[in-house]
Amino acid sequence: MDFNYSENCISIQDKVLSKLDQFTIDFTEKLEKFSKYVIVSGYISILFGRNRTSEDIDIIVEKQSFQNFKSFWNYIEKDYECINSNDPNEAYHNYLMEESALRFARKSSFIPNVEFKYPKTSLDEWTLVKRKKIVLNQYILYNSPLELQIPFKLFLGSEKDIEDALHLYKIFQKYINHSLFEEFIRKLNTEELFNTYLK
Amino acid sequence: MSTPNIDLEELEKQKKQNFIERLHFIDMYVEWLKKTPNKEWSAQQKKIIDK
Repeated sequence: MDFNYSENCISIQDKVLSKLDQFTIDFTEKLEKFSKYVIVSGYISILFGRNRTSEDIDIIVEKQSFQNFKSFWNYIEKDYECINSNDPNEAYHNYLMEESALRFARKSSFIPNVEFKYPKTSLDEWTLVKRKKIVLNQYILYNSPLELQIPFKLFLGSEKDIEDALHLYKIFQKYINHSLFEEFIRKLNTEELFNTYLK
Repeated sequence: MSTPNIDLEELEKQKKQNFIERLHFIDMYVEWLKKTPNKEWSAQQKKIIDK
């Protein structure tokens, strides 16, 4: 695997894109025209080579006005549909503003889908502010920083999450900011999992 | 036919062992990934994901 790593950007070229990559690129390109976003899910480990697929891409989106959300909705609705509701007013007020996620999928399909949510915690806010730019071939994505993503996967704690954490750590351990990484390991109370599975 | 007796402790041990083996596999896979060009590993990954 060849990539260029800098503090604010990881660039990976010549990747043969899967349908999941194409789905993610297409949705986020449209979303970025309206709002700042960050991908926080297991897709990050898949993007960097993990051999599994995923039903959904978790995305945290900066809070929008209803007008902005409706403009985004109108912009994507010829290609995508919201699984939860077909009414943007309901989707915004009864889901997003009530701290529930929406799911968007390509029309007439269910999977994969984007889990679309506004930040709920200080960690969500931090991730959005500190999002990392990923240059994937000629496309741009924004991911959660690995210094948080890996400890957070440990915090989630399922076997799949620990495997994702190990995968990312083994690839990027030489590059990440270790003091920040250790701070999140400590704050998320994941020292034991780190020592058991990643060291 | 009656169902077998189940030794839950044995199954738990087996589950843990499977997990450890998968983690070892990820170690080996990442070593392979690191030395394999993007075009090659991603073409293989695409076959699995697009199935």
